[in-house]
Amino acid sequence: MIVEGRGTADPVLSCTDLRIEIGGNPVVDGTTLAIAAGETLALVGESGCGKSMTALGLIRLLPDAARQSGGQITLEGARIDKLSERQMNRLRGDRLAMIFQEPVASLDPLMPVGRQIAEALGRASETSSTDVDARVQDMLVRVGIDRPEVRARQYPFQLSGGMCQRVMIAMAMIRRPMLLIADEPTTALDVTIQKQILDLMSDLRRETGSAVLLITHDMGVVSESADRVAVMYAGRIVEAGAVTQVFAEPRHPYTAMLLRTIPRLDGPRKVALPAISGAVPDIRDWPQGCRFHPRCPLATDRCRIEAPPLAQVEPGHDTACWHHDRIATELT
Amino acid sequence: MTPPIVSVRDLKVHFPIRSGLLGRVTDHVRAVDGVSFDLMPGKTVAIVGESGSGKSTTGYAVMGMQEPTAGQILIDGRDRTQMSANERMATMRRLQIVFQDPASALNPRMSAAESISEPLQIHRIGTARDRRERAMELLDLVGLPHSAAGKLPREFSGGQKQRIVIARALALEPQAVICDEAVSALDVSIQSQILNLLLDLQSRLGLAYIFISHDLSVVRHIADHILVMQAGKVVEQAATDEIFNAPKDTYTRQLLEAVPKL
Repeated sequence: MIVEGRGTADPVLSCTDLRIEIGGNPVVDGTTLAIAAGETLALVGESGCGKSMTALGLIRLLPDAARQSGGQITLEGARIDKLSERQMNRLRGDRLAMIFQEPVASLDPLMPVGRQIAEALGRASETSSTDVDARVQDMLVRVGIDRPEVRARQYPFQLSGGMCQRVMIAMAMIRRPMLLIADEPTTALDVTIQKQILDLMSDLRRETGSAVLLITHDMGVVSESADRVAVMYAGRIVEAGAVTQVFAEPRHPYTAMLLRTIPRLDGPRKVALPAISGAVPDIRDWPQGCRFHPRCPLATDRCRIEAPPLAQVEPGHDTACWHHDRIATELT
Repeated sequence: MTPPIVSVRDLKVHFPIRSGLLGRVTDHVRAVDGVSFDLMPGKTVAIVGESGSGKSTTGYAVMGMQEPTAGQILIDGRDRTQMSANERMATMRRLQIVFQDPASALNPRMSAAESISEPLQIHRIGTARDRRERAMELLDLVGLPHSAAGKLPREFSGGQKQRIVIARALALEPQAVICDEAVSALDVSIQSQILNLLLDLQSRLGLAYIFISHDLSVVRHIADHILVMQAGKVVEQAATDEIFNAPKDTYTRQLLEAVPKL
């Protein structure tokens, strides 16, 4: 295992050398990661880097055009990538949950939200309907929705975006899943609502001991709500480690340059930001060797030919760079 | 003292809410409710706020895309409502706008050079050859190679498309550009490239910007003066340093507090 969970031998969920293809192109190209109970792992990267496909691949909800072409996925020590759709469905209801960027689009517009949460409880619960109502309302209160008896009867269009995301979280957490996958859960929300939702997610995580895989493009969100971070670039994880470590001393040029290029609230104003030149490469046109080399100021001939493997540079901190020793002096 | 390029005085934009069978107006949404500010040459005024705060509607009203309900918008000291059609057309050359999504702002069947020189054609400026030359100059200005001229939008990345949109906005040599969430849809590594381009263009051409954004870190980086809007009203406006170092309004403080810190 390359990316290890925080001091636990048995991660809740792990994948080894996960590969996902769309039309013969590898969108996820050998991803290895593990998430321990109670921790938040952020998977961060720019559009098209494969972070969402990794998440969908992990719970086997890939779109029709995509397929897993290699690697293993393990949930609590048991392989799940060979399970039937039916077995997988049971797992998704019980052990795995997912929330998405567009809460309004993820909810059924024609069903009161209370019933949607009750549905998430599923057939497995052999409780009476009054018990179900009570549990739904209790859950609504826990996600910070006032007057739950009124809200439960309302439809998604009657609720704000932030409120709909709270409903999604209620649906996801009511079965106390082992793992919650949150794909850009706050990207469509205003910044004050974003803060409330992130706080809510971390409260629930503490309460239930669930693991959280947080997919985001926002380094600020990573810094404030994750324990560990894995940085993806062009289908591969290029750096992974504790958030404090990675942010204080990035060991991959992409991470280092990304952190420098973002305007900071304590940085100089109205001056040129240290930009990363070029653009994220197209999936049909991924460079040979290290995929970041055309944009990397440290690149050498070796980088152009040979892809560096993800390897440990210090305990709990991995990077895929031939020149990770030069970053501290040359890029920060 | 140089006069402001744009002066907004007590601007109001109200939208009627109609209800009942007869569609009678029963109330109004006060999308913009008393906004005033001046945009000086070469400076950047940012309007920040959350969705529904009225920041974009303010921009549209300044641009002349939205009729104000009340208040004045002065362009170079002249009230837009007092202008003739020709004068209005002329003010369009002074003010341009760049939107969030460059893909939907470009005609998918027009080459980069055609898109960039289209405003010149609309305003009947120069010969076809002049316009072609100007398009090349503009490509240089926004950091795109001349080989980009004949390509269609789909051949460009998001950041490159936004450069084309900016080049087109600059074709008529405006004094001010309204940037409505112009970097919000871009990846972080591309966002800083475009911010650098905007700063560079400002210092080279003396451009003024009205920078509409929800992103406080970006706004702090680029703006000289900031208006914080909530529910149609300006809750606070001041120089950038003042807003960030000594915010006076509770809502401004809440917004600053909510920004995830790196």
